[in-house]
Amino acid sequence: MLVPSACKNTLPNTLESTLILNQKNAVITGCLRGIGRETLALFAEQGANVWACAQAADEEFESFCGELAAKHGGWVKPIYFDLTDHDAIKGAMRSIQMDKKPVDCLVNVAGLTRDALVHMTTMDQLRQVFDVNLFAQVLITQYLTKLMVRQKRGCVINVASISGLDGNAGQLSYSASKAALIGVTKTLSRELGELGIRVNAVAPGVIDTEMNAIVPRDILASRVSRTSLGRLGGPREVAGTIAFLASDLSEYMTGQVIRIDGGMN
Amino acid sequence: MIDDNHTKLAAVFSEALGVDVGTINDELSYNSIPEWDSVAHMALVAAIEEAFDIMIDTEDVIDMSNFAKAKEIVRKYQ
Repeated sequence: MLVPSACKNTLPNTLESTLILNQKNAVITGCLRGIGRETLALFAEQGANVWACAQAADEEFESFCGELAAKHGGWVKPIYFDLTDHDAIKGAMRSIQMDKKPVDCLVNVAGLTRDALVHMTTMDQLRQVFDVNLFAQVLITQYLTKLMVRQKRGCVINVASISGLDGNAGQLSYSASKAALIGVTKTLSRELGELGIRVNAVAPGVIDTEMNAIVPRDILASRVSRTSLGRLGGPREVAGTIAFLASDLSEYMTGQVIRIDGGMN
Repeated sequence: MIDDNHTKLAAVFSEALGVDVGTINDELSYNSIPEWDSVAHMALVAAIEEAFDIMIDTEDVIDMSNFAKAKEIVRKYQ
């Protein structure tokens, strides 16, 4: 019989507050729209402070960040960089380091797709998608987990996709990049666990975002019909699971890939 | 400045690896002692970054094979 010498059977003190991310500092990429934007909003509502990353300066986005900070009392700091520019990524991560605040959580949301069937997929398209969906995420994770190592705590949440788990006709580049991100998630959970860092992923299904807005309606309807819940998912519903994985409620979870797909078969 | 870096870096190595500062010299190498393994290397790099307020590129993390090299890398980022 295993003796659980170091197990915890109590919930952390942070849950005495009703805010599940109270005073946690998070870096979130892809905040301009969709899942990233809703994740930013929910994190701020739940008491987190956020470095909100987007590709380029945007007046509406700056205003949105300011409103979140004013309404919820934390700080929301926009950070802009191009995910295909490794020097820009380093500069952005260095600016976060120089803020001299602990980084409790990294959420890798940013991503793109270049849909095409296998014989219509060019190597340039494949590289472009992998540059944003995988290499940039790994580079950001390398920089920020070094900061987490000093704290002996932290978490990384990668936004993958059911496409990375099950494949999807017409999405060779996207599904391959998301499958790779899932591999990164599981490997990092094994490497970083003993350093106090948890790494998990979410795999959203068919979500009502701009990425799915361009999918032909009959194809979208066909995908929705495969869900038990019979509807599209909302980006807020994905953000909810991300917030759970960032919170102390999931302290004993690492290396997991959580499907958020309405029960898709 | 070089002497300051040596002393300060030796203190970082000592704290991060859990070894006596007197055992640290230029020839101290990655994997030459049980305390400096791959997991400790990550903690060591993080400690150096914090102590010297620098952000070390992956190529230099890989290249940091001994104490002398670590001094050279820290100088590069100052």
